[in-house]
Formats: sequence, structure tokens, C-alpha cells
Amino acid sequence: MEKELTIDILSSVQKPARYTGGEFASIIKPQAEVEATICLAFPDVYEVGMSYLGFKILYHLLNKEQGVQAERVYAPWIDMEAKMRERHIPLRTLETKKTLKECDIVGFTLQYELSYTNILNMLDLGGVPVLAADRTDEDPLVIVGGPCVYNPEPLADFFDFAIIGEGEEVMVEVMTAYKKWKRAGKPGGRQAFLQEVVKISGIYVPSFYKVEYNENNTIKAVQPVAENVPPVVYKRVVGDMNSVDFPTSPIVPFGEIVHDRIMLEVFRGCSRGCRFCHAGMVYRPVRERKPEVLKDLARQLVDNTGYNEISLVSLSSADYSCLAPMVHDMIDEFKDDRVSVSLPSLRIDSFCVAIAKEIQAVRKSGLTFAPEAGSQKMRDVINKGVTEEDLMNAVGAAFESGWNSVKLYFMIGLPFENDGDVLAIADLARKVQYKYYQVTGKRGCKVTCSASFFVPKPYTAFQWFAQDDLENIRRKQFLLKDEIKTIKNVTLNYHDSKTGIIEAVFARGDRKLGKALLLAWQKGARFDGWSDCFDYERWLEAFAEAGLDKDFYAARQRGENEVFPWEHISPGVSRKFLWNEWQKAYAQQLTHDCRRSTCTGCGVCQKLGVKIIDYKNAHGEVEA
Amino acid sequence: MKLRMQITKDPEIRFISHLEYARTISRAIRRAKLPAAYSEGFNPHLKFSLASALGVGVVSYTEFVEIELAEPMEVELAAKALDKALPRGIRVLAADAVDTHHAALMSQAAGANYRVTLPYSRDISEAVTAFNEAPQLLFKKAAPKTKAGFKEIDVKFYIPHIDVTCDGAATVFAFDCKITPTGSMKAVDLLNALNEHYQLDLPVEMADIERLNLYRLSKKGNKVPMLNNDAVKLG
Repeated sequence: MEKELTIDILSSVQKPARYTGGEFASIIKPQAEVEATICLAFPDVYEVGMSYLGFKILYHLLNKEQGVQAERVYAPWIDMEAKMRERHIPLRTLETKKTLKECDIVGFTLQYELSYTNILNMLDLGGVPVLAADRTDEDPLVIVGGPCVYNPEPLADFFDFAIIGEGEEVMVEVMTAYKKWKRAGKPGGRQAFLQEVVKISGIYVPSFYKVEYNENNTIKAVQPVAENVPPVVYKRVVGDMNSVDFPTSPIVPFGEIVHDRIMLEVFRGCSRGCRFCHAGMVYRPVRERKPEVLKDLARQLVDNTGYNEISLVSLSSADYSCLAPMVHDMIDEFKDDRVSVSLPSLRIDSFCVAIAKEIQAVRKSGLTFAPEAGSQKMRDVINKGVTEEDLMNAVGAAFESGWNSVKLYFMIGLPFENDGDVLAIADLARKVQYKYYQVTGKRGCKVTCSASFFVPKPYTAFQWFAQDDLENIRRKQFLLKDEIKTIKNVTLNYHDSKTGIIEAVFARGDRKLGKALLLAWQKGARFDGWSDCFDYERWLEAFAEAGLDKDFYAARQRGENEVFPWEHISPGVSRKFLWNEWQKAYAQQLTHDCRRSTCTGCGVCQKLGVKIIDYKNAHGEVEA
Repeated sequence: MKLRMQITKDPEIRFISHLEYARTISRAIRRAKLPAAYSEGFNPHLKFSLASALGVGVVSYTEFVEIELAEPMEVELAAKALDKALPRGIRVLAADAVDTHHAALMSQAAGANYRVTLPYSRDISEAVTAFNEAPQLLFKKAAPKTKAGFKEIDVKFYIPHIDVTCDGAATVFAFDCKITPTGSMKAVDLLNALNEHYQLDLPVEMADIERLNLYRLSKKGNKVPMLNNDAVKLG
């Protein structure tokens, strides 16, 4: 028996409850019933990982399967890691305290490129060889899924296979195949299982593909080198959100987590078509849940969790076709339970302000709008579909309803942006303040602007774009900072842009980056998304030692016909559609939302055989 | 009416903080659908209180929660409902009810009984005898909020007597610790004080601390259970 965490260790680290489990509704099955254990591994701390809806869904769904035990593990914070390494204590699951090595499958979610080093670190701490090639039949299968899986290539050396797309159906198929193989005595070892599992739609096995490069280091071709392997792995997608399982008794943690409330997914997908947005492309098409289904789920969730807030989550909840009546009904239904309803984000219009006002009747919350860019030109470039007038109407309605501060969210470093566009952010903040004066006759409206550094992502219209370099983005930040300093009661928040560079490298990276990732981790990189742990110099050293150029990945404009490293994995969006969007961005032309209008030709519905489901009309289905 | 329940903090969840413990109880009260009273205002909160703040890492079989109810409910039903709504690691052992204006339970607590187990096998009987015979034992306990950063206490005032046994592998301390309206002392500080005064090398960081009992004192000075004699017992 390997060592476990002892009293002295747990007494000496921050938030020890992160490591001890036992939360309400966590599931431990009688060991005699368990045929296969899958560990859902989140490569960040407990409070972040426990807030992730995807794992709440999979934990519930997989534990419903006979013979399957789904468990959890999170990245130990650096204080705990130091103790574990000092005493040689392996990383274990929270449920049955298995080491990662003792699990059948370890599944990481890829939420964010800067959590990749934590994956390597967790495998190592859990006793699993970090490189897939070094794993034997004694080791678990390491799998990945989640939004970044549409370009998993920088991690190709480290995982055995990937789940592309929505996991509800395919994960059950994988576990069924695994149980069958295990029952038969694991014939042929892990290689044989990979050959079996690759037959399931949506499964990507990186070792079954060969990557050829051109002399200029761009990709020449990515081709299957084994039988039964599809040239392109398309994502799995759930056709009807009403029939798929949603967890009604999620784990309720002891301590406060990042999203410490009921998360009720009202719909999946978003087709507004913002050109920077990765989620908007990879989660298509829009599929709503019926209001009756949602109300029923909400009741069960309130009863089962004891939470006092329901957040109606999705990529753009204000777009839910039945939002106003449903919010109204929910507030009414849960008033006596002291449960409030909230929206994670607001659309920029007065309808949303009215909803926000109704929600606020139960509990007060701040108002945040995301114009994303300061100038109309830039909002057209990104296809935001919002005008200054829309924003003024929205904040005007907010001020009339009694709010006296707003938060505005922007990006800088977007394609075709000049200094004037950056300064337009300050201008917009000024106009918002003036609107407050017009509405209330008073001054002193507080406006908080937040400007993040744009990172181009694969499968978006901006996948061809060369990210701003460090010098230029800093110059833009200082320009805006100086301008905003001159305005009373307006503040600007922005982050160090170095993390954005590394994020950009991995977002559009290829397999060669695995070497840099390994080196960076060996040099001590982990928790790169945490500014107190991130070390840019360490990453530069790792790139240099791996013989790679970060600018090749982050700051290089791609040509129309360049083959991308991720094109053998697909969310169904056509390359032609994205290229057209890129051209339209340059021309500042808008593309409409197909949700309640005509098809815009992204190709997802046709390719994957799915339909938009929206309850604006009675039967819900929208003909493409 | 006010429900009062004796609950546990079992070893498996010993590392949750007092705040985490309190949040967990409040959510369990909601899950159990007890007709609890809420405060007024924008952020209505449950009217309930925990008897004492237990340190992180300390196990207890004798925690108490008081829940103010907006409408009456049968004690046994309430206790069973809450027990079912709690995570493994917190159990309801007993419950009673008093009227709302009854003094808070914790104000009546006069002492606690502890068992502390250490992976330690050296003979410390001399030190134990010296401690039990000492009229006073001053110790500077950490007090981060004060200017000096510590506060001098007389350990013997709180813990007049200790019983220590050793089975060869582990040393077990059993003692009572006084609780006064102005406070008490931490069990772990007994070990720190012993190390300091008798030059012992007890591995304080490995201490497995369990609070076994909490009690009131009668006018004659006898130990009296926290809950009334007619309290409903579960499990």
C-alpha cells in the first residue's frame, strides 16, 4: 500500500478539504459492483474544477452505468504538491482514494491551454507515465475531451485517445466497450483496445495518424496509418437536449467554489456568429431545452442540493426563446424557498435589463455588458451585431432602473484594429457616463472597463490571423490606460499579455509543441493560468530548447490554403464558411444569426445530421 | 420553537473548516425542508447557529446546532430528515426542542472532554505527574489578532488533570477542558505547553484530536448533558 495523506500534511496546507472528498451526493459504489473505474481529472484546483458543468454531467451519467465507478481528481495546489513529492505520496481520487495508476481510465478535460502542464504534473503525481508511448498494459488509458479538443495536437504525445464533441452518448459507448474488453481478459493489450475504440464515432487516436510537414514547418498532410481509422474525426453531438440526462443531484461541496450555485443548462450552442468566438463555432447548432423540462429540473435541483441560486447557463442565455416567462415562473415558484434566479451574462438590450431588474427583486447583483470592442468598425469586424445605440439604450434602461455602475468587457488586439479603435473604448465609457447624467441628472456613474488580450482560436474566422506581438499589445494597453486615467470614475482592468501569447501558441499549435510542453513542465511549469505561478522566461527557454519559434504559432498570418494541424478533427464547420467570414471581417460585413432566420451555410447541421431546436415556434425545430 | 441537535464531525471530514461545516449544515437544513426561520431583507439567511467553532482537523462527536423554526415540527421527524440530508461524515445523534427565547446552547457549555492520540511511545509519566501536581502552568498561546501576537494563559485553569496511557505505538491523552464565557483553550496547545515546559518532543503536528463530549455544569458542579433528558436519540 502506498502512502496516503497524513494529519500533519493536511493540517499544514491551505484548504485541506480540497483533498479529502466526502461531499454530499458524492458517489462510492460497493467495490464488488465495480468493473471499471474512470477518473474525471480536472487540471486545476478543486474550486475551479468543481464548478465545471461538463464533469457534473459526466459524473452523474457514468455513475448511472452498471459496473462503472466515476471518481474525481483535481490538481493539488503547489503547497500540497511539495508535501506529496517530499514524502512520495501519490495523487489519489477523492472517492475511493485510488492512485491514478490504479484507475482504468483517466479522463482530462481540456478547458484552457494554460492548464496543459497541470495534466502532465497530475499524471506524474498519480504514478502514470506522462508520455503515452511509455505506458504499458499496467497503466490506465489517458483520455481527453472538452472544448480545446478541437486542436489536441500539442498534447498528442500525452494522451491515448480523445473524445471529440459532446460526451453524453459517446462516453457511455466507450465505457461499454472498455468493460467488454476487460471482461474478456484485455485481449491484445492496450493497442487492441485502441483499435476497437477507434471504431466508435467521435474517437480520435493520435498514434493512428502520421503528420507530414513542409520545409517551412507548416503541415503538409495528416493521414491515418491504421485500418478503420477515419481521415477526419467529426464531433459527437446530442440531437435532442430534452431526452439527454441532466444531473439533478450534483455534488454539493463543503466550501465555496467558483460557481457555487445550481447550474441549469437552458440550451447548448450559439449561432450569433461572433468571429472571435471558439465556443460559438464548436458547439453548434443551437438546441434548446423545453421550458417545462427546465422547470422540472430546477425543482429537483433545488430540492436535492439546498442551493439558494439557480443560474440559467448557456453561451448566451438571454437568447433563450422562452426566457421572460420562464424566469417569471421560476422566481414565483421558488420565492418561498428563498431561491433566486440569475443569468451569467446579459445581452446588450433593454429586454435584458428588464429581466435583470426582475431577477434583482430577490438578490442584488452587478450589471455587466460585453460590447467586446470600442468602435463600430471593430464590432462589425467581429460580427458582434451591436451598435452604440443598443448599448446606450441598455445602460439607459439600467440607470432608469436604479443601477449606478456598470462593467464593460472588451478585447484588444483584434484583427484590423488601429489605435483609434482602442481609444474608442475610453470614448464609449465616457458616453456611458454621460448617459447616466442624462437619465439621472447626476454625475459620478462608475464604469469599470476590462480589456483582455485577444487570442485567435482554431475553427474560428480568425484562425488565419497573426496575433499582436507583446510590444504592440503593451503599447495599446498603455495608450488606453493613459486615456482612461483622464476620466473620473472610470477604471481599466487588464492582465499581463504574456499568458495570452503562450495560450495562442498552444491554441493553434501542432504536435511538435509536445516537446516544449514536456520541457516547460520539467522546468517547473504548472498552474500557468495563475499569474503567481506563470513564468514567461521558462516558456521561452522551453521553446528554444525544443527548437521551436513561438511566433510561428502565435504571430504568423496564415495563407488561404495552409493546411492546419487540427483539420483531421472537426466540429463540422466548413473551412469555406470560415474563410468567407474572415473575408467579411476585413470588409466589415455582418453575418446574421441563423437561429430564427435563414441558414448562413456553416455546414454543421448538414454535416452532422442535426437541427436547430428553438421554442420560439411551437414545435421547436427550425428547418435549415 | 428552536430545535437543538447533537451532530458529529466524523474523521472522514475532519479537515473541513468551521465555515465549511456551517455552510454544509445550512444547505442540509434546506434539503431536509425543515420549516426554518429566515432573516428579513435582500439576502435572507437561515436562522441557525452552531455551538462552537471546531478547529480544522479536529473530530467531534458532540457538536450542536440550534435551528429556529418558523412553524413547529415534531423533533424526531426533523432530526431524521436532517440526518438524511447531511453528507456522510455528519450524523445527527440526538435532538430536543426549546422555546425560541431560550438562551443559546453554547452560552451554557462549561466543559469539553477530549481524547488526543499521538504516534509516540516514549515514557512521559514524570512530566504527566508534574503537570497534574503543578498549581499553575503559564503558556503563551498564539493570538494573531492582538498587538503582541500572543496571549498568556494558565493551562491548569482550563485543564486541571490529564490521564495518559501508552500501548507501545501510540500515546493517548484524555482530559477535560473548561469553557468559560470569555473562551477556552485549544487541545493542541496542551501538547505545545507540555513540550515547552517539560522539554518533551511530542509530535504535535501528528495529533489526532477528538472531542468526545461537551457538557453543562449543575449548580453543584456535576456534569449535565447539553440536551434535555427527554431528547430523542438517533443511531
